[in-house]
Amino acid sequence: MDRDETEMISRCQQGDQEALKEIFDKYHKKVYSIAYGVVRQREEALDIVQDVFIKLFRSIKNFKGKSHFYTYLYRMVMNTAIDHKRKAGKQFMPSLDEEGSFQPSDDVEKGPEKVLLQKELEERVKLAMDKLPAEQKAALIFRDVEGFSYQEMAEAMGCSIGTVMSRLHYGRKRMQESLKDYVKLPGQSRGASALSER
Amino acid sequence: MKNSCSSVSTVLEKYFDREATDEEKFLVEGHLQDCPACRDALKSMEELRTLVKAPVEEAVQKEDFPWVWQKIEREIRLQEKQPWWQSLRSWLDVTPLFRRKVWIPAVATAVVFLFLSTQIIFKNTPSYPDGSVVEYVESETDNVMVYQLEEPKVTVIWLFEGPEEERTTT
Repeated sequence: MDRDETEMISRCQQGDQEALKEIFDKYHKKVYSIAYGVVRQREEALDIVQDVFIKLFRSIKNFKGKSHFYTYLYRMVMNTAIDHKRKAGKQFMPSLDEEGSFQPSDDVEKGPEKVLLQKELEERVKLAMDKLPAEQKAALIFRDVEGFSYQEMAEAMGCSIGTVMSRLHYGRKRMQESLKDYVKLPGQSRGASALSER
Repeated sequence: MKNSCSSVSTVLEKYFDREATDEEKFLVEGHLQDCPACRDALKSMEELRTLVKAPVEEAVQKEDFPWVWQKIEREIRLQEKQPWWQSLRSWLDVTPLFRRKVWIPAVATAVVFLFLSTQIIFKNTPSYPDGSVVEYVESETDNVMVYQLEEPKVTVIWLFEGPEEERTTT
């Protein structure tokens, strides 16, 4: 943690809203991308960003500087996002199996169809992510979206590196299973992957 | 000698995540040259990463964040519990009457009015100087009362000639 950041956090701990603005300017994109990675829905992700910074302003006094500030912040984002998702989960959401009849179009080179296919693909990824347990989802987002190292992930998730690797492994495996039309499974023949053919 | 896939699979993911040690890298790269299945496994992880990451990056690029900060700022202000003097101050700030500073002459007028009212009230209230009755004599026709003040030194003598009449001599 650099000196400027320590000073910025210290001012924020004293209730300085300007300091919170500086933290927002520095981290809002990361916060949004983690939130979006979990919920895959713009408005909800923006709500999470808002909630996180309000929560941070209230609770930053509890940050003792023992870990990196960003891991503290990203853990808060992940928890808030999973919480949002849990609440939203009560609403009806089609399962991936129910969508199973969807077959990607062969005319992917055509503009509108390609756009449609892209949207459908995004929806499938969203549904596949929704099916993952929260810890595996968090691991996948921290690593594949944010590019965290195993060490950083362990800090943000409050677990060991071994646990991080295990969550990543099982998360990826489940995602590959759910998206087998798009992602070539290990040992699968090349023709079976819809994505690689397109 | 070619390593088996099962012995490599444990470090393949570490290799993909750029967490492998030099020794592990050497092991995996040597194996990948002869093993299409593990190359496919690596490709599969890459494809999955693209599927998970690309929509997020696109969403971040599209988003306009300044208004999000404005919402946060407003929400914090609303949620903050102000002490009473700050609430009064903000109330004074937003009330048009007080915002125009007409409250200064208004308060001055109120103070003067209060002062004058107090004077009238105290004027009507009977008050007696701090002193004592030295002597009081009654007769059939007149009554006399001698009253003495300590400071200033004054002696007051009242002559009462009847129930309605009264004379004072100092």
